[in-house]
Amino acid sequence: MDAILKSDLQVKDVAPETKSSVFWRPTAQTGLISWLTTVDHKKIGFLYGIFALFFFLVGGFEALLIRLQLMTPNGTVLTAQQYNTMFTMHGTTMIFLAVMPLSAAFFNFIMPLQIGARDVAFPRLNAFSLWTFVAGAIILNLGWFMSAGAPDAGWTGYAPLTSKTYTPDHSVDMWIMGLQLLGVASIAASLNFIVTIINMRAPGMTMMRLPVFTWMTLITAFLIVLSFPFITVALVEIMMDRLFGTSFFEVSGGGMPILWQHLFWVFGHPEVYILILPAMGIISEILPTFARKPLFGYPIVVFSGASIGFLGFSVWSHHMFTTGMGTVATAAFSLATMAIAVPTGVKIFNWIGTLWGGHISMRTPMMFALGFVWMFMVGGFSGVMHSAAPADAQQQDSYFVIAHFHYVLIGGSMFALLAGIHFWFPLMFGRKIGEFWGKLSFWVIFAGFNITFFPMHFLGLNGMPRRTFTYDGNLGWNSANYIATVGALILGVGIFIYFAVMVYTYFKGEKVGKDVWDARTLEWSLPNPPPEYNYRVIPTVHARDAFWYMKQNKEQIAKEDAAHAKEEAAHGGIHMPHQSIYPFVASLGMLIAGIGISVMDNDPTPGFWGKKIGVTMIGGAVMLAGIYFWALEGNGGYHLHPENDGDESSGKKPAKH
Amino acid sequence: MRLATILSSAAHWSRAVLAVGAVSLLSACDYNFWRMDGHQSTIKVEGPVAKSQLDVFYVTCWVTLVIFILVGAVLAYASIKFKARTPEEEKAIPPEQGHGNPLIEIGLIGASVLALVVIAIPTLKGIWYTYDVPEDRKADTYEVTATGYQWWFKFDYPSEQIAGAGALTTANELVIPAGRPVRVNLRTIDVIHSFWIPKLAGKVDMIPNRANHLWFQADQPGYYWGQCAEFCGDSHAVMRFRVIALGPKDFNDWLTQQTSPARDVAPPRVATKDAPKVQFASLRTFKQNETGHTAKYDTSPLDAWKAQQFPEKGENAALIAQGKALFKEKACLSCHEVRGHGYAGISGPTLTHFGSRSTLAGALLENNTEQLHRWIHNPESVKPGNKMAKGYIDNNIKLTNEDEVALVAYLQSLK
Repeated sequence: MDAILKSDLQVKDVAPETKSSVFWRPTAQTGLISWLTTVDHKKIGFLYGIFALFFFLVGGFEALLIRLQLMTPNGTVLTAQQYNTMFTMHGTTMIFLAVMPLSAAFFNFIMPLQIGARDVAFPRLNAFSLWTFVAGAIILNLGWFMSAGAPDAGWTGYAPLTSKTYTPDHSVDMWIMGLQLLGVASIAASLNFIVTIINMRAPGMTMMRLPVFTWMTLITAFLIVLSFPFITVALVEIMMDRLFGTSFFEVSGGGMPILWQHLFWVFGHPEVYILILPAMGIISEILPTFARKPLFGYPIVVFSGASIGFLGFSVWSHHMFTTGMGTVATAAFSLATMAIAVPTGVKIFNWIGTLWGGHISMRTPMMFALGFVWMFMVGGFSGVMHSAAPADAQQQDSYFVIAHFHYVLIGGSMFALLAGIHFWFPLMFGRKIGEFWGKLSFWVIFAGFNITFFPMHFLGLNGMPRRTFTYDGNLGWNSANYIATVGALILGVGIFIYFAVMVYTYFKGEKVGKDVWDARTLEWSLPNPPPEYNYRVIPTVHARDAFWYMKQNKEQIAKEDAAHAKEEAAHGGIHMPHQSIYPFVASLGMLIAGIGISVMDNDPTPGFWGKKIGVTMIGGAVMLAGIYFWALEGNGGYHLHPENDGDESSGKKPAKH
Repeated sequence: MRLATILSSAAHWSRAVLAVGAVSLLSACDYNFWRMDGHQSTIKVEGPVAKSQLDVFYVTCWVTLVIFILVGAVLAYASIKFKARTPEEEKAIPPEQGHGNPLIEIGLIGASVLALVVIAIPTLKGIWYTYDVPEDRKADTYEVTATGYQWWFKFDYPSEQIAGAGALTTANELVIPAGRPVRVNLRTIDVIHSFWIPKLAGKVDMIPNRANHLWFQADQPGYYWGQCAEFCGDSHAVMRFRVIALGPKDFNDWLTQQTSPARDVAPPRVATKDAPKVQFASLRTFKQNETGHTAKYDTSPLDAWKAQQFPEKGENAALIAQGKALFKEKACLSCHEVRGHGYAGISGPTLTHFGSRSTLAGALLENNTEQLHRWIHNPESVKPGNKMAKGYIDNNIKLTNEDEVALVAYLQSLK
C-alpha cells in the first residue's frame, strides 16, 4: 500500500495543460467537453440526478396517460397497444431510469463526502457507468421514434410473450438491449462504490462508524453486483432466442417459459431492495439531523439493512405464488417473506426511537421523511398481506398489488429521494429551498399520492386486474378509478410545484452558509458547494456522528487538521485525477453496437458488411478502442495546494455546478 | 417570497373553490369506492376456496391493522410531543445524545415475530387446503380442462365423451355442477394466461410446458365473472370468461344439449330467390371500447342465461340457411367448428352451441344480434390484434351487410 502510494505521488507537480502525451487529456472546466470528460464524482452525481429527474417526469407523464385512460369505464384516450406501451415504459422508466439513477446520484455525490474521501476509487469507471446508463436509456426509448414502437410486453417481460412468435417487431429487442446496458452501468458503478467504501474511508472511519446512508449504499451495491447477473443471463437467453433461434424459452423447441420468471425475480426481488435501501439510508440521515439526536439503535439499523439484503435473495418466488409451485415451495417462500417483515419493522421502530425525546425541527426534508415513514408502513403492511400465499392468490396481478408497490416505491423510495434533494440541496448548490414552497409541495404530493393509490386497494379486492386498458362500467370499479385519476392529477400538480421551486431555487434561491441544518455527518463540514478536491485536509474520525463530534471538540480537531495538512504538503499536495474522454467513447461504442443489435433489421444475406452486423461491429470497435486508450492513457493527475477550505488553487477553479 | 404571500391570501379563495369542486365531484359520481361487492369481488365470495383465502386475508388485515394503529399512535405522539415549536426551541441545547436501548429492541423484535406467527399458521393451513380437493371430496369431484388462447378460453369436459368427436368442448363459458368440487386442469396454447374467478377462487397461471391445476366449488347455482389475470398481449384486458353453476338437473340437461350435434333449422320449402326480400338496417357505429352489455346480466344473470338456451321466436329460416352456406363460403370453417354441420376448424372457439351462450368474443360482449353483428363486422375494433381480424385480411374475406346479418342469424340459431 505504501509503495503504491509513493509511486503515485512521484507524479510531478505540473499544471495539467503542459503535460505532453500522445493521448488527449482534456482540461476544459466549462462547456460540453467538461461534462463529457469529467471524472469528478460530484459532477457525475449531478448528471445522474438530472437524467433521473428528466426520466422521472417522462415516466410521470406516461402514468398520467394511463390514469386518464382509466378515468371512466371504456376509456378512449389510448388504444390497447398504446396503453400497453405506456404501462411497460412507465414501469421500466421509473425503476431503471428514475429511482435507480436518482439513488446513484446520491451515492455519487454524498457517499464519498460522508466517508471523507476525495473521489471514488475509480473516477473514470464512474464516468463510464454514467454514460453507459445514458446509452441504455436511449436504446430503451428509441422505440418512441420508430415504427416498431416502444416496448409493450410489460416491465417484467414474461416469456414467451417476448419471443419472436408473439412480439415479432424490434420493440422487445430494444427493451432487452437497453436493460443489458443499464445492467453493465449498474454493476460497474456498484463495484466502484464497494471499493470506495471499503478502501477510501478517512482515518478512524471504522465500518461501525459509517453513516447509515453509506452503509445502505454498500449493501445496495452488493445487491446490484449479486443480482444483476441473473437478469443478464435471462436477457442474453431471450436475446439468443430472438436473434439466433435458440430455445431457452421457445416452447416449440422444448424451452421453459417458467425459467424466465425464476431468473427475472431472483434479480427482481433484490431489485426491490435496491430501490428501497438507499431510501432507508436517506431517512436514517434526515431523522437524527432534525431530531437533533443520534440514530436510535445504529447497529440494529445497520444489521437489519444487511439482513434485508440477505433475505431479499430468498423470497423471489413470492412473485410467483400463482404459478403452481406446489405446497412446500409456496409455504417456504411465504414464511421467508414474512421473516423479512421483522428487519423492516425494526427500522421503523428505530426511526420512532430516534424521534423520541428529540427536539424535532419540522423542516421540509423532515416532512418528507415522516411522510416516508407513514407511507412505507402502509406499503409494508400490504406487503405482509401478500406474504400470506392464499390471500395473495386473490391479490396477485390485481390493483391491490399496484397499490402496494406504489406505496413502497412512491410513498417509500420517491418520498425519501425527494426528502434527500431538499436535505442536501444546500450542500450541493449553496442555496436552500424555501420552507413555504417546500411544505406546500409536500402536502400536495402527499394528498395526491394517497387519493390516487389508496382506493386502488379496494379496486384490487373488488377484482380489477392490472394491465387492463379498459373495463366495463358494471363491475363496481368506476368511482375508485375516477378518484384515482383525480388524485393522479393532484400528484402531478404537486410534483410540478416541487420541481418548479427547485429550479427557481437553483438560480435565485436563498444563499446559505455551510452546515445549514446543524447536521451530524462529515459532508456538512465542507463549504458549499464543495470544492472539486472535497477535503483540503482529510479529516480524522473519532465518533459515529463524526461532524457532530467535531463541532463539540473544535480544538482537538484543529490541531489534528494542522498536523495532517503538513503531512499532505510534504507529500506534494492534493492529488487530482485527469479528465478523460475514453469512458465516454467506450459507452458510445456500446450505444452504437446496441443499436446495431436491437434496432437494425436482420440482413437478408448475413456477412461482414451487412447493415446489422456492420453497425454492431463498428460499435464494438469503438468500444474496444475506448477501453484500450483508457487503459493506455495512464492515471495521470496533478496536484493542488489550497490554503484554506474551499480555496481555488493552482489556477484551477473548484467544480462548478 | 412575495409570491408566497400572494399565494397564502389566494389560499382563502382556493379553499372555497376546492369545497365547491369537491361537492360537485361527490355528487357527480357514485363515490363509495370502498364497496367491494362487484361481480368480481374477492370479499363477497361464494365458494369454500375463495372463502378460505378471504379468511387468511382477514387475519392479515386485522393483525396489521392493530400493529398499524399501535405503531402509528406512538409515531404520531412522538412527532407532536417532541416537536420544536419556536425558533428558540429549535436552537435550544440538543437533547441527550442517546444511542438506543437493546431491551426495547429485543422486545419489539420478539413481538413482531409473534404477530407473524399468528399470520403464518392460517397461511400454512390455507396453502394446503386451497392446493387440491380434500381427500374426502375427491370422489365427488368434477374435472374439466381449461386452455388459454390469445384471447379466449377453451373448456374440455374429459368425462363427457361424444362418439366420434372426443370430449365435449365449449368456449368462454364454463358450465359446472353447483355444490360439487371442480378441478380445473390449466393449459395454454400460446403465452402465459391466468385463470381467475374472484368469487370462487384465487388465480392460478396457465403456463406453457407446465401442468397446473386449481380447484373450487360454487356452493349455489349462479353466474360468475372471470378474467385473465396475467398480461398476455394486446387484448389481455378483454380476455374474460364466465362460470355458470347449475343444479344437478339443469346441469344434466345442459350436458345432454351440448353433447348433441348442432341444431339444424330446416331451410324453407320456397326457393331462395322467390323469398321475400328483407331490408337490413345497417349497423350503427360503435365507439372505441364501447360496452357490449345490457343490464339484464347484472340484475338476474342466471335467468338471462337460461332464457338464452331456447331458440328465439320468429327465426328467419331462409336467412339462417344463407348464413350456414356463408360460413363455408367465407372460410369461417377453417377455424371454427360446428359439429353436425360438417364444419371442423380447431384454432378458434367451437361454435356448435354458440347460440346458447350468454356472451361472445371472449365473454367481452353480450350475445345478442347487435353485438354479434358488431363483432363479425369489425373484430379488430373490438379486440385489437385478434386472429379473426387477421384471418379476414389473410383470406381476403369481405362481408356485405347482408352477409353479416345472415351469419348472425345462423350463429344465433345454434342453440
